[in-house]
Amino acid sequence: MIGLHGVEVAAGDFSVGPLDLDVPAGEYAVLLGPSGAGKTLVLEALAGVRRPRAGRLLVDGVDVTRLPAERRRVGLVFQDGLLFPHLSVAENVAYGLHRSNGERTGWRRRPAADRLGQLAGEVGITRLMDRRPATLSGGERQRVALARALAARPRALLLDEPLSAVDVEAREGLQDLLRRLNVDEGLTVLHVTHDLGEAFAVGGLFVVLAAGRLQQVGAPLDVLRRPASVEVARFAGARNVFEARLVPGDSNRLALAAGGTLRISGPVPADVRHAVVRADEITVLPADHAPVGEGDSCLTGRVRRVVCAGATSVVEVDVPPLFRAAITARELETLHIGPGSTVGLRVPAAAVHLV
Amino acid sequence: MRGRRPSLFWAACVVAGALLVAFVVLPAASMVVGAGVGLLGEALRQGDIRRSLWLTVSAALIATAIAFVVGVPLAYLLARRDFVGKRAIEGIIDLPIVFPHTAAGIALLTVYGREGVVGRLLAPFGISFTETVAGIVLAMLFVSLPFLVDTARETFALVDERYEHVARTLGSSPGGAFLRVTFPQAWRGVLSGAVLMWGRGISEFGAVIILAYNPKVISVLTFERFEGFGLRAAQPPAVLIVIVAFVVFLVARTVLLPRRGRSRKDAS
Repeated sequence: MIGLHGVEVAAGDFSVGPLDLDVPAGEYAVLLGPSGAGKTLVLEALAGVRRPRAGRLLVDGVDVTRLPAERRRVGLVFQDGLLFPHLSVAENVAYGLHRSNGERTGWRRRPAADRLGQLAGEVGITRLMDRRPATLSGGERQRVALARALAARPRALLLDEPLSAVDVEAREGLQDLLRRLNVDEGLTVLHVTHDLGEAFAVGGLFVVLAAGRLQQVGAPLDVLRRPASVEVARFAGARNVFEARLVPGDSNRLALAAGGTLRISGPVPADVRHAVVRADEITVLPADHAPVGEGDSCLTGRVRRVVCAGATSVVEVDVPPLFRAAITARELETLHIGPGSTVGLRVPAAAVHLV
Repeated sequence: MRGRRPSLFWAACVVAGALLVAFVVLPAASMVVGAGVGLLGEALRQGDIRRSLWLTVSAALIATAIAFVVGVPLAYLLARRDFVGKRAIEGIIDLPIVFPHTAAGIALLTVYGREGVVGRLLAPFGISFTETVAGIVLAMLFVSLPFLVDTARETFALVDERYEHVARTLGSSPGGAFLRVTFPQAWRGVLSGAVLMWGRGISEFGAVIILAYNPKVISVLTFERFEGFGLRAAQPPAVLIVIVAFVVFLVARTVLLPRRGRSRKDAS
């Protein structure tokens, strides 16, 4: 497990925390947040290369706050692999091997050589062992970096944007490898990224950090559908975030600050300030559409623009306020919509999340 | 694809560069040609020149070795840590570059001379810095130290600190990470600084002549011969030290340059 109890980390004028977080043993946690949120500072504090200003750090039940990095037994993998350029792949992996469990033998000697071969097979780098780091692709470098980290038999693995410098094909292979290592070895992982797609591909637990504060900890779908704050909602890709307040005397309707109302369902928090609706929850309908479900909002507006992003497009509709709805390429063709068209929007009451 | 038509800008760069290279090469070449091969051979047969040459080269080497032992840790500290007074220390290390070298000699004399604080302390142990090889090493060390420390500091700063972070998580102590990860990546730069320092050391005159006129290093011998016997007598020792320095620099550069070539290829 990984634990942060009241941890504060600072770098110059910027500080993160206080943070309280428990990642259960064997969990694959993803530390998410926009650039500059302080994710890497947290990782550096856990790795022991940056001293926290306050708080306690736990790895596998051991208080490591005052332990030097070399005694914490946490693996650290950076975005660019950071393989030691003066060593071969085998020597890079053996670097961690020499220091695990008191093994101080050369990598060609047994049992170090056996362990090296086993690791190489596990991460798929057997054919690369004699190569120099400069000759490897981004994906190969990350596999070697993982093998090197695993060689030191870490109690937890810390990954700092490990897939961001890797092409799409290699990324999928690495995602599978990371998940396999987590499941098969029972290794606790804390994976830092700002890429939501990457986070969904690997993560079992989302930890969202923004502006140095922990915003939300939860299952991936919880964070996606029930963001705890406007910051999380925006980071999780919610395209419709409106200032809102409850309509007096109507517990099923919200008044939006920019105009108009939205039907809502379920319990309403007393201090509701914003309504969040994901673009993919909104249905775009022809202007002369049939009446929609009673509990849902039915709006009409003029298309401002259509932003095509391959298989899906985002339609911006001025109701007001400006709503963004995601539609498939097929729907876009069927509806024959473009800038200036009048369309209907169906916003399910259940899709309106309040924060 | 853009054409490869030479521009006026690049032509100007080439002309400026050629002028500068000629400015450096002409006096050295003129001195070598003026001395002549026969005269150089004869100079090598003269005991005082041979002894002076060996003294100069070895004293500069000892000064460089001392600077390596104490200067590399300082360079690493300056490259990696921020602390109060860091800028002041960097300035102090660079001070000998701007010191007039005769003034440096006087300053050293006031501390390490017979009447100096350190000189008086060490005298009972038979250690003296005036008119001794130790004095020559001291003067060379003082004036040329910045070349090693500054170059090493810049080189260490270029090595990503995160390599050390990774090494630490793999079980290395801070010293182990430096020796096994950082230094192997920085050694060419450190060597380059050491060669520069050694080169600066062998050419030192002002500080050396104040602390130790004798035994004579090559610059002092050249000066003495010029004063006593004129230009022709001064040329052989001067040419010899220039040739030795040139050969050492050439060897060092051929060791260092392949890395630069590889860097360009990697970048593409």
